[in-house]
Amino acid sequence: MMVKKHVVAVLGAVVVVGSAVFASSASSRPTGTAADDPNNASLTYWYWAESDAPGANGWLKKEVAAYEKAHPKVKITIVIQSTDTLTSAFTTAAQTRSGPDIATQWATLPTLTPAWSGASVPISDYVPASETKNWIGTPENLSGGKLWAMPQYLLGIPFVWNKTLFRKAGLDPNKGPKTWTEFLAAAKKLKAAGITPFGMGNKDGYGGAWFFSLIGKQNLNSINELKDAMIGKADFGSAKFSGFYTALADLKKKGYLNSDVASISFEQGFQLFGQKKVGMSWGTDGNVAAWEKQLGAKAMGVGAIPKWGKGKLAASYDTTQSSDAFITKWSKHPRAAAQFLMFLHSPAALKAWYAATGVFPADKRFPASLVTDPIAKKMLALDQSPLSVWPENFVPPQVDQNADLAAGELITSGSGSPADAVKLWRNELSKWKSQHPDEFRNYQKWASGA
Amino acid sequence: MAREVARRRRRRRRALWPYLYALPAVGAMAFAFGFPLVQVVRDSFYAGNFDAPIYVAFDNYKGVINDPQFRESLLNNLKLLLAVPVMLGLGLAIALVLNDRIRGMRKYQAVVFLPYVLPATAIGIAFSFLLQGNGVLNTALRHLHLGALAQDWLGNSHLAIVSVGGLVVWQQLGFCVVVFTAALLALPPETAEAARIDGAGWWALQRRVLVPQIRPIIELLTVIQVITVLSWVFNYVYVLTSGGPGYASSVMELYIWRSFSNGANGTAASVAVMLFGMASVLIGLSLWVRRRAEAT
Repeated sequence: MMVKKHVVAVLGAVVVVGSAVFASSASSRPTGTAADDPNNASLTYWYWAESDAPGANGWLKKEVAAYEKAHPKVKITIVIQSTDTLTSAFTTAAQTRSGPDIATQWATLPTLTPAWSGASVPISDYVPASETKNWIGTPENLSGGKLWAMPQYLLGIPFVWNKTLFRKAGLDPNKGPKTWTEFLAAAKKLKAAGITPFGMGNKDGYGGAWFFSLIGKQNLNSINELKDAMIGKADFGSAKFSGFYTALADLKKKGYLNSDVASISFEQGFQLFGQKKVGMSWGTDGNVAAWEKQLGAKAMGVGAIPKWGKGKLAASYDTTQSSDAFITKWSKHPRAAAQFLMFLHSPAALKAWYAATGVFPADKRFPASLVTDPIAKKMLALDQSPLSVWPENFVPPQVDQNADLAAGELITSGSGSPADAVKLWRNELSKWKSQHPDEFRNYQKWASGA
Repeated sequence: MAREVARRRRRRRRALWPYLYALPAVGAMAFAFGFPLVQVVRDSFYAGNFDAPIYVAFDNYKGVINDPQFRESLLNNLKLLLAVPVMLGLGLAIALVLNDRIRGMRKYQAVVFLPYVLPATAIGIAFSFLLQGNGVLNTALRHLHLGALAQDWLGNSHLAIVSVGGLVVWQQLGFCVVVFTAALLALPPETAEAARIDGAGWWALQRRVLVPQIRPIIELLTVIQVITVLSWVFNYVYVLTSGGPGYASSVMELYIWRSFSNGANGTAASVAVMLFGMASVLIGLSLWVRRRAEAT
């Protein structure tokens, strides 16, 4: 009995002292910043791009070495981020207001939501307009009249087909499918010839998310319609927004996808085309450049994604800056960070980027004359299409993570119907609204053009 | 009278000394455990980010209970509980066989224990390659003309949680074997010898003599493994299936992580409080069982 009393007393004391510590910490706030000398700083850069552009990590390492040589008092530490945790790791850092000086995020919402919550500073406050006017894709990261991030590269998602396997299946190797009907016809012939028609990985949901961005947008007339669906002005359950899940389920049902689509990762899915295991696939410009090295330019065809929908966006291409770099609010050296980011857009750095990755830099100063390879020229032409949109950029990160990714998994695993996928979206949109009232209000404001 | 009062005061002061000595330790514990606990409970009543929290009373709890993804995660934790009798049964069986001092007993013990010392992340990655639709396991089955048994272990929504359970059993089995073996070796040999002299066969000896003697250990290990399955399976799930397909293999820990990484701190905190409550009940049960074990 006595022992029990002591245990209760100690536990009580723990909670009381804990509450006191909590109360004292709640009232404390970080104060003060160190001097911001652009030529004397220690910067941490959370970087991600390798998945989009193989060779990117090596390029950054060399650029950092060159910059540090030119600026001996600047030290830059690169921390490579993984695809799985790119958003979540920064969200966690933003909660604690500590972490990198420069961070990478995917464009638009994943970049703007931290900006809205005060985790980043507008890059346009630190980089002059004479510089930012050369950057391509800046409208993707504009909010409140400010530019919040620096684009590094342009990313298109071309459709690819294996000419050798097309020939084997009795298809014209020089003519890739341009419409959904042609795509299905090609898939049917490939399957009949014992070839897996279309290859992708969706264990982590990114394959399904691409399907949403590449096929799902095609019934929309403008991206504002998707914004309306996010804030409840339109119903995501209508066929206009979610009809693409029926097309995905149809591919699964007909056996046009690789049988292990639900158990291999997105990255593993890319390898299938390079390994000549599938007749058709899609990939980033960087993936295509890598496949070209593996298969040879003559063995593969490159084109735009087949047309499935009837909206104005069916004619659009899908170029985006994909990921971007921004300066965090808690960085003590925003000017140093901005100066380094500008260096990454210097002519030499842009040229080195293209040489290392085969992906086009997001900068008007990049000379197109450097692009000599016929497949690369085709990709550049596609990337410069007059209308380009990547819808995933406009989905709130939480909804993207918990609905967009998961819903595609339901379909490719055969464990859920398009109706189940829609239910997931609706549930997540409703959760987002209640769990992030501030973010929701900011989104509404931004969607209205503010 | 005055002397009596002074003596009482001295006694009271003396009684306070132990608490004073314990104060640094209590302070450290309060910082390490009390502070986060109070903070998490407080956060569970707020929405929004840490900078501008909005008081929502019990809305986070209501939202979680009404969220089908949470219910699916909770259900998956309960499904994983089925792994506990499997690992305990197998562990006990192996320990009983090893207890017969079979040749190479130590080597077998080491082999069985090996998975337990491997990092869960490494195991998860290795198994994710083994269990893919066209992974090592299915390829081997097809080569052995057992293609009918080949399944999409990770991509099938019904099998994904079974695969996770299988992995948990595979890793935890070694721990169960070691604990049971130690318990069996600690038993006085006289009882078993007396039973043998009385004509007890191998099966009767195990069932009627040895197993009943280690019953408190079995009960204790059951509680420990139930706690493990409830609140220590994040690594396996995250690496092996990421909770998918959809939410078919999601568990409460993954739900907490997802909520927190999406900035839904209040939701994450409310589930953490619920999980803490469940684990506390089980820890209480474990203490009770341990006390009983010590008494017998």
